[in-house]
Amino acid sequence: MGRILIVDDTMFMRTLLKNILFSGGHDIVGEAADGAEALARYQELKPDLVTMDVVMPKVNGIEALKAIKAADPAAKVIMCTAVGQEQMVKLAVKSGARGYIVKPFQAPKVLEEVKSVLSA
Amino acid sequence: MKSVPIKVEHEGKWVPTTMGIGEDRFRIDAPLNTEIFYKSVVDLDEKKNQVVITAGAEGKTVYRVASVEKVLSVLKKFIIMQASAYRLNAYFMSPAVRGGVLIQDARWDKGAIAVMKTGIWFVSQEKQVCIPIGDVAGIELTSREIQEKDLNVVKIDHLSENEVVTSFVLCPMTTLQVLYNFLKEATRDSEVNEEIDPLTGQVAMLVYSGMDSSAIENMLKLSHKDLDAIYDRLLDIGLAEVLYVRKEVQLTPKGVRYISDAVKSPIN
Repeated sequence: MGRILIVDDTMFMRTLLKNILFSGGHDIVGEAADGAEALARYQELKPDLVTMDVVMPKVNGIEALKAIKAADPAAKVIMCTAVGQEQMVKLAVKSGARGYIVKPFQAPKVLEEVKSVLSA
Repeated sequence: MKSVPIKVEHEGKWVPTTMGIGEDRFRIDAPLNTEIFYKSVVDLDEKKNQVVITAGAEGKTVYRVASVEKVLSVLKKFIIMQASAYRLNAYFMSPAVRGGVLIQDARWDKGAIAVMKTGIWFVSQEKQVCIPIGDVAGIELTSREIQEKDLNVVKIDHLSENEVVTSFVLCPMTTLQVLYNFLKEATRDSEVNEEIDPLTGQVAMLVYSGMDSSAIENMLKLSHKDLDAIYDRLLDIGLAEVLYVRKEVQLTPKGVRYISDAVKSPIN
């Protein structure tokens, strides 16, 4: 089970992810609503894994991912985006993302992906 | 025509027999003693180790055949490639996304697509994938980055073993448009034409994600009664179906007596 930081600009998606991850026995150590806050929270909390929305105000998810990887190359980040933005996958993977989930998502698959990234 | 052992449904029973699989037809031996041309097949469906073949001008003759995977695979391939169906050569990726998780090693398969009465078949050298039309949740003509180029694809969302799966089809734009229109028409019954308010939409999204009633009530700060009303709306417009009815109970005098007694002499 892991200590997870959830990054998404909508409270609805953060709450949904929090419920899914909590039901899988994970500990939600923090939340952030944009990329800049994500980096600060990451450095403060040192989570085992981050779920990162791609499209966010101020600093977007890809930029936040790059900043987190620059600060901690071993950081485990799963990107999370809406249907139709799958083209971002290559960019995210190139920037160091370990996994990718597409909204809308289903709880069992999200938990499988998180488990797989945490155990890698 | 090489003969292989199969079982065929005959007068409500599964009967062992043999089948010949030829280039343009297949033969089912006694008790059916019949030859069927692949081009007369109008529908093909599959269930665990079984295929259901519908043939004939009016599609009235149905053959249920059970056999090992290898035999069914050869038979299905001949049928898909020659049956009376809308068919095109294309690249397909299925599944590309499962339950919202992108399958990172998914790749494009070169093959053919056949749209039959009840299902869309993808067939390549290695794969045979059937998407039942009734399980299609969405059809979209969109673009996808392939080998660093944005190319048009048809995106098909469908249900598979209670998971939402996304598959993609890639072929020249003119064919793609025809395929899109064809599939759109075939799945017209599942289109959503009703106005859905934001709260009902959020509930639908949470149900999709696998949240149960109590999780939804907590997340959206809804009462049991409010959530029931939203569920009724989802049921009315056909967006949801009842999985089970949750019971809320209160104790009878007998129940109260049991609890009172249990408190006096606690059971470990």
